[in-house]
Amino acid sequence: MIRVTDLRKHFGPTQILKGISFEVAPQTVVGVIGSSGSGKTTLLRCLNGLERINSGTVECGKVRLEAKLSKAEYRHRVRDLRREVGTVFQHFYLFPHLSVLANITEAPVHVLRRDRKSAETEAYELLESVGLKTAAQRYPESLSGGEQQRVAIARALAMRPAVLLFDEPTSALDPKRTVSLRTMLRGFVTRGHTMIIISHSIGFLNGLADKLIYMDSGEIVEQGPAEQILNDASDARTRDFVSQAS
Amino acid sequence: MRRELNRAFHTALLITVSFNAVAAQQALRWGADPSGGAPYVFTDPAHPDQYIGYEKEMVDLLAAAMGRHPEFVPSDWETLVSALQRNSFDVIVNGLEPTGDRAQQIIFSKPYYIFQLQLTVRKDENRIHSLSDCSKHTVATLGNTAASRMLQQQNIPFRSYEDPPGAYRDLELKRIDAVLMDVPAEAFYARNNPKLKPAGPPFFRGLYVIGLRKGDDKLKAEVDAAIDKIIIDGSLEQILKKWGLWNDAQVEFQTSIRQGVKAELGHIDMTTATFNWRDALLRLTRAAIVTVLIAFGSMLIAVVLGLPLAVGQSNGPKIVRSFCTVYVEFFRGTPVLVQLLFLYFGLPAIGIAMPGWLTALVGLGLNYAAYESQVYRAALEAIPKGQWEAAYSLGMNPVLAFRRIILPQAFRIALPAMTNDFVSLFKDTSVAFAISVWELATAYRELANASGQFLLLGVAVSIFYLAMSLPMAHLARRLEDRLRNRVPETVDLEEVAA
Repeated sequence: MIRVTDLRKHFGPTQILKGISFEVAPQTVVGVIGSSGSGKTTLLRCLNGLERINSGTVECGKVRLEAKLSKAEYRHRVRDLRREVGTVFQHFYLFPHLSVLANITEAPVHVLRRDRKSAETEAYELLESVGLKTAAQRYPESLSGGEQQRVAIARALAMRPAVLLFDEPTSALDPKRTVSLRTMLRGFVTRGHTMIIISHSIGFLNGLADKLIYMDSGEIVEQGPAEQILNDASDARTRDFVSQAS
Repeated sequence: MRRELNRAFHTALLITVSFNAVAAQQALRWGADPSGGAPYVFTDPAHPDQYIGYEKEMVDLLAAAMGRHPEFVPSDWETLVSALQRNSFDVIVNGLEPTGDRAQQIIFSKPYYIFQLQLTVRKDENRIHSLSDCSKHTVATLGNTAASRMLQQQNIPFRSYEDPPGAYRDLELKRIDAVLMDVPAEAFYARNNPKLKPAGPPFFRGLYVIGLRKGDDKLKAEVDAAIDKIIIDGSLEQILKKWGLWNDAQVEFQTSIRQGVKAELGHIDMTTATFNWRDALLRLTRAAIVTVLIAFGSMLIAVVLGLPLAVGQSNGPKIVRSFCTVYVEFFRGTPVLVQLLFLYFGLPAIGIAMPGWLTALVGLGLNYAAYESQVYRAALEAIPKGQWEAAYSLGMNPVLAFRRIILPQAFRIALPAMTNDFVSLFKDTSVAFAISVWELATAYRELANASGQFLLLGVAVSIFYLAMSLPMAHLARRLEDRLRNRVPETVDLEEVAA
């Protein structure tokens, strides 16, 4: 589903990503772990086109981003990429001037040009699936952090992406909510979605992620099946991180 | 040594004595409006530090006859009477007509000149031959003069100007169709203009007198005697001849003075200011409507033009960015009054002659666009970057993200500042008086000067302003509340703007 090859990204002289390569199989969950400053978030921003890559390739479905593409062509492909990839940001970035319902229907109606009626019907279904059907007419600022996150998830799903990207999904949640979020995400995989989740929380990814990638200083230290990384990592740094974080 | 000391002492004494002689001579402080004041009194183009004019020369003679030394106090035509009452000077000598309303406020000397009125039109004009053809055309004149009162009495639409050159220039520029003016001014400013021609012969016979404060009867007696003297000894006649103002009416008038016959002047006309409260309120209402139209029109320009300026200044290519910055700094850094004067008087030089109301509307609009752009810019920059990124991640292009996500949020932030600007724009419409637009401030000035009712009219005008600005402030508050309370439907920018 996703293949990243020798991805590099720098801001000025600072190397943020120093040759990242990994693959994500369809309908699997990949967790990206690592301490702050390891380049996880920049990686995620490269995967949805918010940052332009400096070298290497990002392939997702039929879309292929290459560093050497012209500006116009790159922009064109990013547009295609964003049809495949939905993002749930750490701080959600709901649109405060729109109701919950309008937050969800905004992009389907104006980007996909779907008619408002069917977009709303689907939005209600999505809200029901995240357990927020009654909140449709409310505004984001009246919602709790967990509720805002579920609206953000519904908003991303409304564009029917194959892949969902999550940036630190547990940072605003209490332990109980964390468990129910994990259950919900598991359900999305069964329904055909592929996910990349960036998280500090080993506990959250344990039992959710099929594969784990441990990053440090812009490099992938180790990647492999979740079981192996958590219990039997070959690199000492990975073992340190796992033992400290769990 | 001693002799030298002695001489020095004598010299000093002599200087002191002659100085005392000058100081002992009382001043005759006279007030007049020298701006565009030819041929009465105006700045000498050859020596810009001096004033010349037939009335200047006449006052010199009068003062000499009275044993005083003349002292000119440059003033403003519209406020001459109140300035006299405030003791800014002792007499008004400025082609003043002894009207009934002025007689309630000041006293008059004997007349010194018989004036007539002349209607002037463009050379190619073939519709207007006399004042009676003017009922469908706008006639320009000076405010608070015999001409303006006559036009008002005959219900002929007219516009008041500050000075004759402005009126004749706008006649040339076709902003108006005719000018009615006292013959002395007409002779100086229009008669030799190849683009203009007189419409019919001069008409009306009115008097010029000198205005004095009530109770100043001793000075009035002095002035009257001096007027008689300079008429009888022929020195006034020489001045008038020198300035090309000597005509049959003057011959008749001066002869009658010389012969001591006062009443045999022939027919004399006198205009009266028709001031009554009903008329005044009606005219204020008209002015209020003009004010509202200018305010709304220019705010529309400002709101619409401010947006591309704001976006251009923040996100445009370098050249656009520089242009927007220059625009904003220019319009914020120079007085709006100067901008209006430039648009009104400067632009016709390159062939763009807008009528006054349009000039005010466009000028204020361009000016406030600079301010609105900064309000927008601050509001746009206050929207978190994450809002853009969320919109992009949902597949929106920059234009769609801006229109649907960023702009409505920025609008909500900008609204209080925009409301503020609108109220201040509303009051700034008063600068339009500088280009003779009949809005509230102009109306106040002219009506109050004509009637002396500064206080009551001031209250009335303030009520007009408040009656318009308070509902607007209320409306803006309701709009802000509505946006804050987030009524369930999505707020459409177009709907809010309308």
